[in-house]
Amino acid sequence: MSERHPPAIRATGLRKTFRSTDGSTVVAVDGVDLCVQPGEIVAFLGPNGAGKTTTVDLLLGLTRPDSGTVEVYGGTPRQAVAAGRVSAVMQTGGLLPDFTVEETVRAIAATHGRTDRVATVIERAGLSAIAGRRVQACSGGEQQRLKFALALVPDPDLLILDEPTAGMDVATRQHFWDTMRADAAQGRTIVFATHYLAEADEFAQRTVLIARGRIVADGPTADVRASFGGRTVSFRPPPDVVRPDGLDPAWLDRVEQALVPLGVDGLEVSSASLEAAFLALTTPADELAGASR
Amino acid sequence: MTALAPTTRSPRPALATYAALDLRRQLRDRVGMFFIVALPSFMYVVFGLGSEDSVGSGNVAMYIMVSMATYAAVTATTTVAGGATTEQVMGWGRQLALTPLRPIAIVGIKAAVAMTVAAVAVALVFTIGALTGASGAASDWALSALLVWALSAMFAIYGLAICLLFRGPNTPGIASGLIVVMAFLGNLFTPMDGLMLDIGRLTPMYGFAALAHYPQTDGWLPLGGHDPLWLPVANVLAWTVIFALLALWGLRRSRARA
Repeated sequence: MSERHPPAIRATGLRKTFRSTDGSTVVAVDGVDLCVQPGEIVAFLGPNGAGKTTTVDLLLGLTRPDSGTVEVYGGTPRQAVAAGRVSAVMQTGGLLPDFTVEETVRAIAATHGRTDRVATVIERAGLSAIAGRRVQACSGGEQQRLKFALALVPDPDLLILDEPTAGMDVATRQHFWDTMRADAAQGRTIVFATHYLAEADEFAQRTVLIARGRIVADGPTADVRASFGGRTVSFRPPPDVVRPDGLDPAWLDRVEQALVPLGVDGLEVSSASLEAAFLALTTPADELAGASR
Repeated sequence: MTALAPTTRSPRPALATYAALDLRRQLRDRVGMFFIVALPSFMYVVFGLGSEDSVGSGNVAMYIMVSMATYAAVTATTTVAGGATTEQVMGWGRQLALTPLRPIAIVGIKAAVAMTVAAVAVALVFTIGALTGASGAASDWALSALLVWALSAMFAIYGLAICLLFRGPNTPGIASGLIVVMAFLGNLFTPMDGLMLDIGRLTPMYGFAALAHYPQTDGWLPLGGHDPLWLPVANVLAWTVIFALLALWGLRRSRARA
């Protein structure tokens, strides 16, 4: 790999443990290898407690790994942060309640030496109307948008988003992803952690499925869905049987009858989803067994 | 965006801009500023107004003005430094960790803000004093103001130490409450003598207050007695070291937990 164009992220053998309150050791991240090329859009998908946030902290250099290495654009995460090449919307990143929205942006812009970006990012994050509002008076979704504006300040090449749409309503979420899509089209690399399956499904070209601190699947989102989402046979119905309210029931009956000689029963009509893959891969086997008892 | 071009950006943090925004936020905090500025000014007016009897190179009003300015400056630096710790705990520190700002710069900014707020508090109490009959030798007046302002830095370390050691929403309140106790023991609010004075001499604010009054009194105490200069100096040095060690200990504990 040419060092002139190093990958956006190269993580090798990342491992991080924490001591929990009762003194036992919890392995949060357990041997994660990850390589993200510039321009990729990668979803980091996993249930709560899977190690997503810890991995994000490791990628940003906010936490030191017990073992393993992280490189961001060929340097340390701290160097990439200092150069403004990577920034993030963090799940637990705090805001100061007694700053206004605009003051918050100006303060962070000052730390980057990019006070010229204040107006741009306020507009990009859709905050113009509430720029003068105190942070403590902002809703969860508005605060989330403010964090997004802060992440845009250095105009980063790599944007890491940890549960970026938490607290946003449907319309805001839609708008947020539209903005992200436009950014990605211009070549920004985006890595986002989410437990909203639909977000990974819709937005990411590549999905990394993480469970219990390990990567359990990594590939094009469609492949991850296809190879792990159960055994689904799908086909496209002829256009004339597709109605606004669903498929023509008479046609479905004929399909069912045609399948009976093949030993197929219980025909179900659904669209494929990542949900199945998610559940199959992230639920421990003993829990599944327990649930079925 | 420069995804493909090798970048050599050299962002230079605008530290002054950040400090100015932070200072303005601090000065806007009505509750905080009440305790830093309004309460000491009020107490000066209650206890000091019209006390024309002479003390050392000035009058009683000046003596009380210096006492209240000391209390105001200590409250200012404790509040700002303690608030800085709370900000870190609340996650603003994580936000700043994603900027080019280095931890030493963050500490420097907070120190500058704390000392500026302290300067505002001292200036206000001294101005009220000057307008309402506090009088004394101009050079002692200026030296007192400078001492009050500069020495209040040791209580920034105190605020930092307390808030690092006892984390929680009530900690800044505890830190301010302890200041009142220390101010009494430090001979700031009511003149002490006898056993209380002997005990008070060992407490953190005594040396500070005694040094602040030294230009006016040369160490002579309101109820009789005299402090040689080495005593308050030793007190200030000892407590500065103790606060610094406590802050370091707190910092280490908070790191271990993170």
